[in-house]
Amino acid sequence: MTASADLAAPLATDAGARRLAGLRRLDLLGLGLTLITLLAAIVFAFPLYWGLITTFKPEYEIIRPGVALWPEHFTIENYVHVLLQTKIGYWYVNSLITSVAVTVIVIIMAAGAGYAISQLNFPGRQFFWWMILASFMVPIPALIVTHFVVLSQLGLINTLAGVVGPQLIAPVTVIIYKQFFDSVPKDFREAAVVDGANDFQLLFRIYLPMNWGVTTALAIITFIGAWNLFLWPFLAVSSEDKMNITVGITQVHDAFGVSYGRDLAVAMLAALPVALVYLVFQRRVTQAIMLSAGIKG
Amino acid sequence: MSAQNGNGSPHVELRQVTKRYGPVTAISDLTLTVEKGSFTALLGPSGCGKSTMLRMIAGLEAITQGRCFIDGADVTDLPPAQRRIAMVFQSYALYPHMTVRDNIAFSLSIAGASRKVQRERALEAARILQLEPYLDRRPAELSGGQRQRVAIGRALVRKPEVFLFDEPLSNLDAKLRVQMRFELAKLHADLRTTMIYVTHDQTEAMTLADTIVVLDRGTISQVGSPLDLYNRPANKFVAAFIGSPSMNFFGVDLVGASDGLASVVLPGGRGARARVRGASKPEGAVELGVRPEHFGLTGVDDPAAALPGAVVIVERLGSATILYVDTPAGQLIVQGDGNLAVRPGEQIGLSLVEADVHLFDASGVAL
Ligand SMILES: Nc1ncnc2c1ncn2[C@@H]1O[C@H](COP(=O)(O)OP(=O)(O)OP(=O)(O)O)[C@@H](O)[C@H]1O
Ligand SMILES: [Mg+2]
Repeated sequence: MTASADLAAPLATDAGARRLAGLRRLDLLGLGLTLITLLAAIVFAFPLYWGLITTFKPEYEIIRPGVALWPEHFTIENYVHVLLQTKIGYWYVNSLITSVAVTVIVIIMAAGAGYAISQLNFPGRQFFWWMILASFMVPIPALIVTHFVVLSQLGLINTLAGVVGPQLIAPVTVIIYKQFFDSVPKDFREAAVVDGANDFQLLFRIYLPMNWGVTTALAIITFIGAWNLFLWPFLAVSSEDKMNITVGITQVHDAFGVSYGRDLAVAMLAALPVALVYLVFQRRVTQAIMLSAGIKG
Repeated sequence: MSAQNGNGSPHVELRQVTKRYGPVTAISDLTLTVEKGSFTALLGPSGCGKSTMLRMIAGLEAITQGRCFIDGADVTDLPPAQRRIAMVFQSYALYPHMTVRDNIAFSLSIAGASRKVQRERALEAARILQLEPYLDRRPAELSGGQRQRVAIGRALVRKPEVFLFDEPLSNLDAKLRVQMRFELAKLHADLRTTMIYVTHDQTEAMTLADTIVVLDRGTISQVGSPLDLYNRPANKFVAAFIGSPSMNFFGVDLVGASDGLASVVLPGGRGARARVRGASKPEGAVELGVRPEHFGLTGVDDPAAALPGAVVIVERLGSATILYVDTPAGQLIVQGDGNLAVRPGEQIGLSLVEADVHLFDASGVAL
């Protein structure tokens, strides 16, 4: 913008000419940066492209040596097989049920916990806050054996509830809510208190609606995380019709021998909802990632 | 507005109230009675405890010691919602995600009123405040003055017994402030509801209130009507705080007092007289206060001139002229007519009228 304005203006002075030269150098720098980012984008996007293109190749073409960037014989056989011969319908529904359940429960619990720690005065508040911060320091996979033992004692192994359970540990979500609720000016709270609002009304009619952006961002990122989760659902479920779609991929592999085309077809179908969510809510997702990165960093 | 609005019966009472924040004492042993129907202003400099007092009446701040009564009932331990008060915050605290209508009707909706009642009452309040065209907008789409009105509407819709305002006009520009001041005065004249109004702006307090409570570091300095405070300040703090430009002070010698009239010797040697309250006063050094607008201007050799002086600066405000005058008593501020014919460097005399001269003892208490 400024560059074109400068070009349009007559270059009456030396200073103007020097500025223009400066801009040109800057443009060169910009061009270089663009090229680098473009290169990086290709590096990241290529595996995706490779995976997608592979699903449209017949198996013999896939295992043939050499790099074919486009299928010789374009086929949708892999998808047809996966959709008709596997329990992908179950896996999809299971993934949907568990991910939605995780999202809804995590959001409600985290909002409640964040509100309590941010706004209420009760004995042990500081203790709970430290507990949440501490639990956030512990990597979840480190606890996976304990989770398994506890859930099997509760008789929840090989159930959808068992898949959901350990995913409800979401300290980051609580921390983010707490920080946002902390930053709501206290006048809002007091005005509502004078008007007779209780804590539930404060949370659901003031604090949550005033932070809708955070809630949608957190909900999306929680959903994507739950959908993509592999390790825990893989351990918690053994019967095929209780599996999530991420776990289901392993079944395709086992039941029909190694078939890269079919495996990748399931993977593509598994990734589809997340890709759609991302495309629709791109801005929110980035925001959510920044939010949790801000906490982690 | 200056007429007494209260009907004499106490409405809000604080009895020997103390408020401490940890080691900080914000309010100490304060007793105050606000009359029913009055418009009472809590006036004082920043940090003197005005907001704290208001918030204790609202129930937003716990009282460390003492009791608070509303309508004769002890409300010290009642939550805000049960005190039949409504509060307007300095920040307005309008919920950004709700329309003006929902903001105004919020308390009704919390109380479980039907949608229809909410709409009717919100409309009624909006009509009083000329907000009807904006009912479906959000606060972000309103001007400062309109937001202020919504905040008042939110208080209005609850039909409270007491309105509490915490510096409601301080976020508005000067012109709008004058207009809102007028509308608040009109609202009080229409409703006749008790209003307690916190401000650090003496003009607001003087124009709106029928009773002004001047606070100084957590205690009451003086309670009275605007003219009481202006004409008979109880101490130097009130004398200096009320009036603009502020009162001039300088040291004088009290040489005698009889029949409520004291004689003093001014710096420079001439004498003056002042009305005082008690009969006998200890002779010696006291402080004299006189408002800029209460000096008379005379020739420098006029026998009526109490102080001779040289004009240093002349400020023309149109309606008045402000003079900075060097005198034996130090530099004094003098206010005269708008078209006063005086130039910098000119020698003038200042005369005093006994009714307008205030004397204060060493501790600042008016004699
Ligand atoms: N939450 C608190 N914790 C500690 N001290 C406080 C708190 N709130 C107020 N104070 C102190 O109490 C005193 C009175 O504060 P208050 O807010 O009532 O002043 P104010 O008269 O309303 O001033 P302003 O005109 O600036 O709003 C101040 O000295 C302030 O520092
Ligand atoms: Mg204040």
